Amino acid sequence: MYKTDVRGKLIDGEKSLSQISQEILAPIDAKVPKWWYIAMGISLVMLALGVKSIYVTLTQGIGTWGVNSTVAWGWEIINFVWWIAFSIFLLILRQKWRTAINRAAEAMTVVAVFCAALFPLMHMGRPWLFFYIFPYPNTRGPLWVNFNSPLFWDFMAISAYLLISASFWYFGMVPDFATIRDTTKSKIKKAVYGFFAFGWVGSSREWLRYEGLAFVLGGIAAVLVVSVHSIVSTDFAVSIEPGWHTTLFPPYFVVGAIFSGFAMVLTLVTLMKKLYNMGDFITENHVDAVCRILVFVSLIMGTAYITEIFIAWYSGSEYEMYTFFKNRITGEYAMQFWGMFIFNALLPQLFWSRKVRRNLWVVFVISLFINLGMWFERFNIVVTSLSKNYLPASWAEYHPTWVEIGFFVGTLGMFSAGVLLFFRYIPQIAIAEVKMISKFNKQQTTHLKPGHHHDYE
Amino acid sequence: MTTNKKYLVGVFNDEQTLIDAFENALERGVVIEEVYTPYPIHEILHGMKNKTNITTAAFFYGLFAVILLIGGMYYAAVIDWPLHFGGKPFNTFPSFIVVTIVATILTITILTLFTFSVRAKIFPGKNAEVIDIRATDDKFIILLDQDKMGMKIPEVTQLFQTHGASEVYQKETVAN
Repeated sequence: MYKTDVRGKLIDGEKSLSQISQEILAPIDAKVPKWWYIAMGISLVMLALGVKSIYVTLTQGIGTWGVNSTVAWGWEIINFVWWIAFSIFLLILRQKWRTAINRAAEAMTVVAVFCAALFPLMHMGRPWLFFYIFPYPNTRGPLWVNFNSPLFWDFMAISAYLLISASFWYFGMVPDFATIRDTTKSKIKKAVYGFFAFGWVGSSREWLRYEGLAFVLGGIAAVLVVSVHSIVSTDFAVSIEPGWHTTLFPPYFVVGAIFSGFAMVLTLVTLMKKLYNMGDFITENHVDAVCRILVFVSLIMGTAYITEIFIAWYSGSEYEMYTFFKNRITGEYAMQFWGMFIFNALLPQLFWSRKVRRNLWVVFVISLFINLGMWFERFNIVVTSLSKNYLPASWAEYHPTWVEIGFFVGTLGMFSAGVLLFFRYIPQIAIAEVKMISKFNKQQTTHLKPGHHHDYE
Repeated sequence: MTTNKKYLVGVFNDEQTLIDAFENALERGVVIEEVYTPYPIHEILHGMKNKTNITTAAFFYGLFAVILLIGGMYYAAVIDWPLHFGGKPFNTFPSFIVVTIVATILTITILTLFTFSVRAKIFPGKNAEVIDIRATDDKFIILLDQDKMGMKIPEVTQLFQTHGASEVYQKETVAN
């Protein structure tokens, strides 16, 4: 049973069930605020730059990028790993407070995975032949793909992740679409949301199977998230580059994904709280809980960074030593290394203080810094290891060209446009789930008959 | 062929009165056609005696996928077109596991969603058969078929009202 006296209220204010629907659906019915159009305009301009960059890449080739034969992976792989890490880790927490923020987390995941998938696709050079990576009986031999290649694993992981997170998200919304269909006064909305509600009416037959489906998807999606990030890490870990060839990588990437996933969730929910008055559903306690998770995960990140450095020294390999001590901690790329270390391992330690956790602006700014720190981490991994490895004769520098920067800016625009559309057209919080937990909101649970003390998890 | 079906609808304002009335009605031998709620209520799902095998189905989808995937990769990498990768064995089973996990999860998801769609009859383009439009918002609805409920209308109405129904009304729908 949820203890409100320990954890704080799940929903502020005594709300009736219909108030819950009304307040969560308010942004869909309300007049669209001016800032929304401005933000959308900026996002679309950014997206247009991305489209232009993709056009240049498609018509002229990878030569327009700053990558070279030494640093063959540049911003594209950094950004791919960065985007893919915004994950639905809330699934793992079987906590009642997740109901307020899981919808936003799922939305973020779907859009972010879509952004991520563009990078390896364009990196293929001839993206129109991307289906060659799919194992199917073909006329090229028949030549099968290499099942031992992490790049193939990655292809499988990204496709599965995209499909699963999108369907997970969608089926979570079906009952809420039905709520919109049945409560809206607009005929157009009734028709459109009615179509997307797939004929949902909330009967016991539907709910029974829905619960079964949620159980299955929740269980396997947790496994999927762990395996996807482990697979992404093997893109690096199975190579023999100094700084990459380490068994730490799979857990390191999984934890990194939890970290950046929660940081981005925090960014989004603070925006929802401030811009859409969702403060009654996303209470200070929710933000507080996410912050406390971030403190803990940040300690794991710090431990991982220090472990890497320690193992580099302990292994006695001069290449590892060089990569970590001469190329990361000091040297040309020190800025990125310390950016990563400070933003991911040190800055979140401020969340130990209750005052910081309760100050929404500080929380918002720290969450942005974590997102930035996680980008530095990927830069640190991808570029520093490649630019100076075993053979000094092949050392090279890497600088991104405007095409690569534009491509990244384009995905940022795509992400923010996606989030803005989400804010405007989709219930930002899972209405049915919030209604379900609303009864745990009271200090006393005596209004429930003895024998009915079921834990709704 | 279409026939008019006569229903009796009990409307409740909260979960607790619904469960109360639901359980009392069941004890008195009332046959309940369906219950509509804004969120899943385990007492109702349990009391309706419907069972779902969706989790069992998901398990078998997974089993099927694992066999097919490992079999398929073995066929491609060992029988059909063996390739030398730096002296590695053709049957690199441990590295097949990675793809097997991810693709199994994908198969389970797609097939379970499909099963859900078929069994719960939730699919694109379906018209919602709404009994009481408030059931997806804040009301809890018990639906009885007047021909099958096994009790007279006034008795059921009284039963519902003593257990806190906010409304009891009759409804006719065109069923097909």
